Amino acid sequence: MTALLILFMTVLATTFAGFFAPARTTKALTLLGLVAAGVGLALDWGTTFQAFEGLYLLDPFAQGFTLVMIVGGVLALLADCDVHERRGWPPFEYYALVAFAVLGGHVMAATLHLGVVIVGLEVLSIPLYALAASRRDELGYEASLKYFLLGAVAAAIFLYGLALYFGATGGFVLGVAGEGLIYSAAVMMLLAGLAFKTALVPFHWWTPDVYQGSPTPVTLFMATAVKAAAFAAFARVLASVGLGGPVFYALAALVLLTVFWGNLAAMVQGEAKRMLAYSSVAHSGYIAVALFGPNPGPAMGYYLLAYALSTGLAFAVLTQLDEGRGVRLGELAGLWSRSPLLGLGWTVALLSLAGLPPLVGFWGKYLVFLEAARGGQYLLVALALFAAVIAAYYYLKLLAAALFARTEKAAKVTLSGSTPVGIALATLLVVLLGVLPGLGYGLFTAAAALPK
Amino acid sequence: MIHVAIFLPLVFGVLALLRPTGARALGLLGAAVTLVLGLFGYAAFLDGASAAYSAPLLAEAGVYYAVAWDGVGAVLMLAVVITTFLALLAARDVPPAMVGLTLMMESGLIGLLAAQDLVLFYVFFEATLIPSLLMLGLFGGAGRIRALVKFAIFTLVGSLLMLAGILALRYLGGAPSFLLADLADHPLGGVAGRWAFAAFLLAFMVKTPLFPLHVWLPDFHAENHPSGLADAMGTLYKVGLFGLFRWTLPLFPEAFALFQPWLLALAALTALGAAWTAYAQTDWKRLLAYGALSHMGVGALGLFSGTPEGAVGAIYLLAASGVYTGGLFLFAGGLHRRFGTLDLRPTSGLAKSAPGLAALGLILVLAMVGLPGLSGFPGEFMNLLGVWQASPVWTFVGFLAVIAAAAYALGAYQQIFHNAPDKPAPDLDAVEWQWGALAVLTVVFMGVYPKLFTGPLLTAAETLVAAMGGGR
Repeated sequence: MTALLILFMTVLATTFAGFFAPARTTKALTLLGLVAAGVGLALDWGTTFQAFEGLYLLDPFAQGFTLVMIVGGVLALLADCDVHERRGWPPFEYYALVAFAVLGGHVMAATLHLGVVIVGLEVLSIPLYALAASRRDELGYEASLKYFLLGAVAAAIFLYGLALYFGATGGFVLGVAGEGLIYSAAVMMLLAGLAFKTALVPFHWWTPDVYQGSPTPVTLFMATAVKAAAFAAFARVLASVGLGGPVFYALAALVLLTVFWGNLAAMVQGEAKRMLAYSSVAHSGYIAVALFGPNPGPAMGYYLLAYALSTGLAFAVLTQLDEGRGVRLGELAGLWSRSPLLGLGWTVALLSLAGLPPLVGFWGKYLVFLEAARGGQYLLVALALFAAVIAAYYYLKLLAAALFARTEKAAKVTLSGSTPVGIALATLLVVLLGVLPGLGYGLFTAAAALPK
Repeated sequence: MIHVAIFLPLVFGVLALLRPTGARALGLLGAAVTLVLGLFGYAAFLDGASAAYSAPLLAEAGVYYAVAWDGVGAVLMLAVVITTFLALLAARDVPPAMVGLTLMMESGLIGLLAAQDLVLFYVFFEATLIPSLLMLGLFGGAGRIRALVKFAIFTLVGSLLMLAGILALRYLGGAPSFLLADLADHPLGGVAGRWAFAAFLLAFMVKTPLFPLHVWLPDFHAENHPSGLADAMGTLYKVGLFGLFRWTLPLFPEAFALFQPWLLALAALTALGAAWTAYAQTDWKRLLAYGALSHMGVGALGLFSGTPEGAVGAIYLLAASGVYTGGLFLFAGGLHRRFGTLDLRPTSGLAKSAPGLAALGLILVLAMVGLPGLSGFPGEFMNLLGVWQASPVWTFVGFLAVIAAAAYALGAYQQIFHNAPDKPAPDLDAVEWQWGALAVLTVVFMGVYPKLFTGPLLTAAETLVAAMGGGR
């Protein structure tokens, strides 16, 4: 409950503070609020708390996923400076909107009531539509409009599923067993609606354009916090309906399509943000692999944390290079000599995303595959791992573009403000949690099995 | 002490990366201390003082940081610490960052040899890939990106599918953890065992390497930094035979028995085919790459024979090859420093003006050829002894490969040092005398007193053969 209240107060405070104080104050307030919410979570870590007659359920599962959203939010705030700041971006609303989105995501994760899920989903989504356009240029408007239209369709499908669910079970709360055609249709529609936000193929079409067109820190936030929120709801719906029959095949198809399509499409991109957008699609597939296990919560949570740190780090580095037109692969050349910190961060982030030990990304992959192996899905594991080889190819391509290409020009990049802090912190965590995986995983094993 | 031996090179490696000006001194110091630690570690192991150490790394998922020296790991560890020191000593005009990456690789190699937990082994095995890739990508030749992608994709196809095999092995086999002892008590048979075995085999065939998964190897060596430092480390990283010995054959005895005839054929094909190809090479590094490949084929033949002699021979050959092949790559680096090329053809008749260089080259080449009294002989002999018991036909093919080594290695030696016209070359300088003497000492010692190493190896090999259901 503390976390919810703190997030709510943060939202109020940052919304109004922006009118009176400079943007920097709003940023500090938002960061403070997010960190305080994290502390609030930590104080009650591992316990279950209910309020509002069960509408709000803060169990260890919700705590783990909220932590990931907070990490994503903090990284997005820390890395927002430099290239953009010199052009009058971000506006103070950026900070308030990020806080709104984290609040929405938290609500989405911390409930079993489908009506509350949709409220959380909208509180999460509407700020993102605005954020995507916050740079006020053509690409941003396009991204925003695409995101809004497809997001609206997704919400409509989810709502339709919700209505059918009510028809089949007589309630809005997950966990009521149902049967029959209407119930199956309801479940499929609920999952499809959420699959939009998690960017599982074939519901991913918005992702590359939106990720590419949005300001890079916003992309960072979408790729980390939003994904965590969407997967929280996805996992809850799935846990309540079980993996029987058509749901199993639907999920298996989603996972395999996602890992293969996401990775293959990423391979042929020539722009780093778009490449990472497809990579984030592929990672959705890996996260969903854990859903085949008996207790997916901890593995998913850990993967999301690992992925949020790694991909957040990669986008944070790109933020410093992106002048609003994206970053072509050729523009990455000589990154190490332009700024050693950026070079190090980029290397660590990509190796971690590729799943090489001893970085945190490896343990994320290891744990989700372990979970699926516990569920007996060895063929799925082998196929998904095979797709990871394709992924390794384009991560190497990104790495080679930045490190191995020999180049003459080396205009130094100077980092300012909170950016070096954010990048150094993320780099450190990616390595530290990779060397001592138990440190991070312990947080998530507190999460007991999801309530059915 | 074992933990210090694993992580000390890493610490020195990071320091060397942070302080480019003193990198060479730091690197040499780190490698020397690790060498001493390794020697003491081996002595302590012979006294039986080595105890397994185990701490939970990710206990909820059954992963432990469990390390110990057993016969196989300890012998190969010696090859690693000696060759790394030799390499850092010999390669003096390399970029500073290469020194740091070399030490990081050494850390990973020692770790993977010591690991007693399959996931920990996997972590070290994969982590070693990172510095190896960086060395190739940062300091390689013009075609390095192509070579890098080939190397990475081959390695990862093998190792990622092996990860699926690892998970299947534990959960289908019913072992409570990934510790070697637990896994060995629950070998996996049946159809699932065959698939998991195939996944392991794929990973280690890439890293042995065996035909047809060897195609990354020649490019990897040809494109790496001409000093030979990265090649020597890459040679040590070819731990496929070790992976098969420790982590594959004892865990899938049933599947191995099924695959054995095919594996013997593949190994023999590798041995002979690579020797044939080596004979046609005109580039030092490519010649060495194929020559080493041929020897790995002979080693694999011994290991797949399923006899204790063959298994001992395979590991002994692997350890010896780490030193002499690594030494030959460094020797090639010395030639490159003198003439700016690795091509064999323009160089000839150096023995007159550089007798020391010729002597060093001759001893290393003869070790590779398998002359009795040098380090290549005991391994090859035991290999073929083992294969004879399993299949005389393949023994004959193995012999052909060994004989062919004399043709390609001595042929290259003759071209450089004795063919007309005599060309002038500076003889060994102080540093080359140092590393050369150390290399020759090691090669001779491993050749005349193999018993120091084969004793522990034989114990391990007999355990292996017993686990495979053979034994006599």
